[in-house]
Amino acid sequence: MEQKILQKDQVGKLYSELSKVYTFYAPIKEKGNIVFKKIENPKDIVLDYLNSKIPPKSVLFPETEVLFEYKLDGKDVEIIDRQDLDDKILIFGIRPCDAYSLELMANFFSFHGNLKDELYLKKKENTTIIGMGCNNPRTTCFCTSVDGNPFKKEDSDIFLTDLGEKYLVEGISDKGKDLIQKLSWLAEAKNADIKKANELAKQAEESITTKMDVKEVTKILESSFQHPVWDEISESCIGCGTCAYLCPTCTCFDVIDETDDYNNKGRRIRIWDTCQSCLYTLEASGHNPRDTKIQRCRNRIMHKFSYYPKNYDLLGCVGCGRCIHLCPVNNDLRVILDKILKVEKKEDEKAIA
Amino acid sequence: MVLKMGVEAENQNIEKSMIETANNLLKNKEVDVIIGYSKGTVPLSSAPIIIRREEDTDKLIWNNLCYVNLAKYLVPLMPQLCDSEGNSLKIGVVSKGCVGRALIHLAVEKQIKLDDIKIIGIPCNGNINRKRIEKEIGESEILELSIVDNNINVKGKDFEQSFPFDEYLNELCKVCKVKSPPNNESLAEVCVGECLEITSVEDDFSDLDEYESKSTEEKWDYIIDTLRTCTRCYACREACPMCYCHLCFVDQNKPIWFGKTTEISEIITFHLTRAMHLAGRCVACGACSSVCPMGIDLNLITRKLEKIVKGRFNFTSGIDIETLAPMTTFKMDDSEEFMLEED
Amino acid sequence: MPNPYIPYLTKIKSILSENKVNDIKTIELEFINEEDYKEFNYIPGQFAEISIIGKGECPIGIASSPTEKGFIKFTIKKMGTVTSSFHNCEVGDTIGVRGPCGNGWPIENMKGKNIVVIGGGFAFSTLRSLVLYASNEKNRKDYGDIIIIYGNRDSGEVLYREILEEWEKRDDIKVTLTIDREEEGWTRKVGFVAAVVKEVAPSPDNAVAVVCGPPIMIRTAIAELENLGWKDEQILNSLEMRMKCGIGKCGRCNIGNKFVCVDGPVFSLAELKNMPDEF
Repeated sequence: MEQKILQKDQVGKLYSELSKVYTFYAPIKEKGNIVFKKIENPKDIVLDYLNSKIPPKSVLFPETEVLFEYKLDGKDVEIIDRQDLDDKILIFGIRPCDAYSLELMANFFSFHGNLKDELYLKKKENTTIIGMGCNNPRTTCFCTSVDGNPFKKEDSDIFLTDLGEKYLVEGISDKGKDLIQKLSWLAEAKNADIKKANELAKQAEESITTKMDVKEVTKILESSFQHPVWDEISESCIGCGTCAYLCPTCTCFDVIDETDDYNNKGRRIRIWDTCQSCLYTLEASGHNPRDTKIQRCRNRIMHKFSYYPKNYDLLGCVGCGRCIHLCPVNNDLRVILDKILKVEKKEDEKAIA
Repeated sequence: MVLKMGVEAENQNIEKSMIETANNLLKNKEVDVIIGYSKGTVPLSSAPIIIRREEDTDKLIWNNLCYVNLAKYLVPLMPQLCDSEGNSLKIGVVSKGCVGRALIHLAVEKQIKLDDIKIIGIPCNGNINRKRIEKEIGESEILELSIVDNNINVKGKDFEQSFPFDEYLNELCKVCKVKSPPNNESLAEVCVGECLEITSVEDDFSDLDEYESKSTEEKWDYIIDTLRTCTRCYACREACPMCYCHLCFVDQNKPIWFGKTTEISEIITFHLTRAMHLAGRCVACGACSSVCPMGIDLNLITRKLEKIVKGRFNFTSGIDIETLAPMTTFKMDDSEEFMLEED
Repeated sequence: MPNPYIPYLTKIKSILSENKVNDIKTIELEFINEEDYKEFNYIPGQFAEISIIGKGECPIGIASSPTEKGFIKFTIKKMGTVTSSFHNCEVGDTIGVRGPCGNGWPIENMKGKNIVVIGGGFAFSTLRSLVLYASNEKNRKDYGDIIIIYGNRDSGEVLYREILEEWEKRDDIKVTLTIDREEEGWTRKVGFVAAVVKEVAPSPDNAVAVVCGPPIMIRTAIAELENLGWKDEQILNSLEMRMKCGIGKCGRCNIGNKFVCVDGPVFSLAELKNMPDEF
């Protein structure tokens, strides 16, 4: 049987066993926010959570990441490559939407033939994902509209279901099944446990009431680049980076050299960037292809719901709802998509008239 | 004993008279558009809205979650507030005290022309500290918020919790002395609705006592602890009506002035430098804290700045249209000791 | 696969100031490791992310032609932080190079066709590469007529003077140089590029036009080509956008669903007309 039981008070034991092999990341509470951090003490792990504030993409694509380091010696330069890419990583307790986002990112970072982002891909390859079903999706969640599900298991290696006092543990990938084999102390799951897990999954799925015809949105976007609806959509936006930084699928970054001139060394790093910033596309000549807020708001929506499907045949959104409940000015993605859906209707009405 | 009206009733009154004023302004063609607040789609929020037609004014709301400083949308003037030739429309701005102050201060800094603007004054009764409530509720989704008998009632799927209204206001709202937009002779044409005849502000800043009693190390620890979760999304800056620089110092790259990473030293240099730029300019609206996705509360830094400026220059921003902010001008008798020592 | 953000290391072999104002320089780079140079297989029209380690990186079109052996060349105009740093470099300095990036001029599809090269100002570097490549003795037979129209504000701005003079002497390349206003001692054409295009009137029959320059020049030159019967598919542009990674990952150079750094920088006018107007 690949279905096991982990008692909640055994999480510490699991940690001490796995942390010998893996750099163990799990959700913790930091100043009131749930974030994925490297765990030093298993008591810090918080598994009874809605979803993390900062998406766990930060484990594999951190806010600040060293691309390489360098030493300067007069006219000569020595480059020092990353040495940590072979480390084994474990992400524990990640929600299915976020686990899916790591797959989307892997797909994006490996696109364009041999132009692969090996930093992300190496780490992803060395990562074991222990996902956890989402018993209580938020009202802002809409994963079921974007190819997801609160109990979507396929993006995890091992999948947990919170049964109250204990977790049902299921091996999903070969990597996950092998790992479960090694955890010989896990108890066997009973049929009742599996039944309960299935019921919870069904309940969770039914509790997601936001349903959007995102395929239709993609279709409409194809022909509405110039539509005045974008004026309306961008009206309240203040151009901050909240939606992008807290989006599990946003991958844009800036590259900066940081040099310690006193010690003749430094590092080239990448930091998160966002297409919502007007500097993002500003050229040295002063020309800016996306000079207005209207263009920038449009780019974000087009990217996720039009360009992404066009390039990768996938949606660039996992329906986690972070951008909905965290937008400072309540520029709700659901409302935005609804406005886009109405674009066509308005045009139909015109055609009939 | 003065019988105090409940917050709920206050809100209804404010909303009713604001809609009436907005309606009249549009009807009499005194403004082309009104910028105000509409109901948010998630609890603990509100959404800025532009109203163009009389019949839409009933979308305007007032509750204690109208935390965005609407002056933000005027500098730079968004295209939605311009006519086809790029000139400013006549804009009515729903203004609590700090929005009014922002508009006045922006006029002092020559960023807006008040001729194009009507300040629709409302007697603000404070913004709820949404981030504090969210943090205290923790990992349960808030589905509903209502104010009953001066309590903030928060409901979720399987919980209900009550917070005393006065205690759970934004820290800046608790000590606010300018609840309605300041009005005086020179602003008579600009102000409609409920405004406040005010020429100076008395403030003892006693709310800073606790912070000021800390040692330098403790203050530093406090600042580090407050700021360490910052993601550099710049929501604070983008929500700030006074952060209108075309190119923020942190984005300067010819040469690069400041680091842009999420390392604590660079986070601190960003926030403290931004704070310095707001000395004598901050209008204490607290939007920076209200919008922060990580729930960082910058109020203490803001208050401390306000106190220093008040103490040294007897200046409060956004009160009168004539006086330049201390950091944008100088006098021969300006006190200069802070250049050498500061607490 | 190696870390794609680590550059090849090269040394500056020579630096040449290209114009009177001295804000355009051509640097010649030699790879420190011969192996790296062998891996760096490029075609005309591609670019590289070149960097001064410690100052930053920027995308620059490759000005040399693969037919020139032993080095690569970049022509750099002083614009932003990184390009200004390049202007302070000295011979022997270490320069990082990543690439080649982008699609480049479609040298295979151009075979058997006449090539019309229309350039303005500083944007002539990858055109230099193309003409050198096509006119090289090994490749010359693969291409038809080579017609060059190159305009500048004044004579002091003309890049690659020596090589232009060599081309002028050849009878298999037709070179027309022009400057905006009369100048003492200038013996070539005077007038805007578009006017010269009209005058030279290159035939669209079995031909490809590559057009690089400031936006206004591109627009007016293309209008003239259209008057001469050129089709959108025959007219090629090379776009410039802000870029950081050069490998389609950092996001900022998108125009619609295309990334200029990998899908471009070369696009036909027909392709550009199907793309959103965000460049």
